[in-house]
Amino acid sequence: MKYLIFDAGPIISLTMNGMLPIIEKLKSVFLGEFILTPQVKKEVVDKPMKIKKFKLEAVRVRDMIERGVFKMSSDVIPDDRLNNETKRILKTVNGVLRTTATGEKMKIIQDGEAACMAFAKLCKCDNVIVIDERTARMLVEAPHDLEKLMEKKLHTPLDAELSLLDGFKGIKFIRSAELLFVAFKKGLIPIKKSADLLDGLLYGVKFKGCAISSGEIEEMKKLI
Amino acid sequence: MKEVGNVLRILKETKRLVEEDNSHALKALSNQTIHSAMVAQDGDNIVVAVLVYSLGKVLERGHYRELEGWAEFYDVVNKNLNLAIKALEKNNVDNVRVYLGRIRNSLNKFDGYLGEYIKDVFKKAEVNKAFKMYEHGLSTEATANLLGVSLWDLSSYIGQSHIGDAHVAITMPVAERVKIAEGIFEE
Repeated sequence: MKYLIFDAGPIISLTMNGMLPIIEKLKSVFLGEFILTPQVKKEVVDKPMKIKKFKLEAVRVRDMIERGVFKMSSDVIPDDRLNNETKRILKTVNGVLRTTATGEKMKIIQDGEAACMAFAKLCKCDNVIVIDERTARMLVEAPHDLEKLMEKKLHTPLDAELSLLDGFKGIKFIRSAELLFVAFKKGLIPIKKSADLLDGLLYGVKFKGCAISSGEIEEMKKLI
Repeated sequence: MKEVGNVLRILKETKRLVEEDNSHALKALSNQTIHSAMVAQDGDNIVVAVLVYSLGKVLERGHYRELEGWAEFYDVVNKNLNLAIKALEKNNVDNVRVYLGRIRNSLNKFDGYLGEYIKDVFKKAEVNKAFKMYEHGLSTEATANLLGVSLWDLSSYIGQSHIGDAHVAITMPVAERVKIAEGIFEE
């Protein structure tokens, strides 16, 4: 079984671009399950359900869960096991960077992102995490760069114990941009295929929170 | 509360700048505050950063002074900043929270537009500070939780960030990540 594990960000950026139905179309050609953890459901359904401005979006995501487009992680891994692993990951990751001056730990990720990583580690299966924000990706793919970025932005020297992240090597990430790229290539977008469409899709998610650079978008467009 | 000495300095500076009607310096002070708020990742530091930025914005908008309730609001700000400073000098952090909270809560008491306008300034200040914290390296979820704003509100702001364009944020060649995406969708 293959799993695509969704963080909250891609669901938000796709929804805010009117692209939520594309998730359903992608699911129809995917030989596996689209997974939501309870922590991510909280961000994309439970919390916005209480905010009138975003309630309709929350209802639409909830409907997709009820219709099985998204499967809850508890169908695969019991919540208590996922929660324990999530806590362990949070403790590890949020202990990697400390301020040199005070030794204070920098909390850089939270439950949602950690729960996605926990599922990826526990499911022992072919899986990819869909995550739009760059912090979790940097932690796994380029932790030295995250340390540099934070030191530069905070104007504070940091001590890093990057070996703590060794256990996360091998976790694979994509963004909503790559999902739309696949949907575009497979002809799943119900608009006539054109360079403008792909350009619009990729910049659309960029401006709704997907951490992708303009340079990356231009490169991606050349891959068609 | 973390970094009590720094928060005390900021509150004293805020009081002086409010008295001097220096909105520009207040906003600059708020930007300094966000560095320490980010390092401390402490709710109280963030409340102060949002308050200072909001006061800068409110003072900048001269026409607010002509609205009903302005004198009362200005009085609430001065009085509670003073009380918060005195409380913090005695290390009474609980009272500091009460006094700073009163500034924002006072907005519910005003009839007319002023209360609503300033509430909106505070709300936007929260999202603005959230955006700054994200730019300082925090994850979106961590940022949203610290500021008490929703990820949905944050997403458009984060889209405006240049952080995604920063070279360090590119952690894998585009073609390689596309290959991962296409790979998982292969039959």
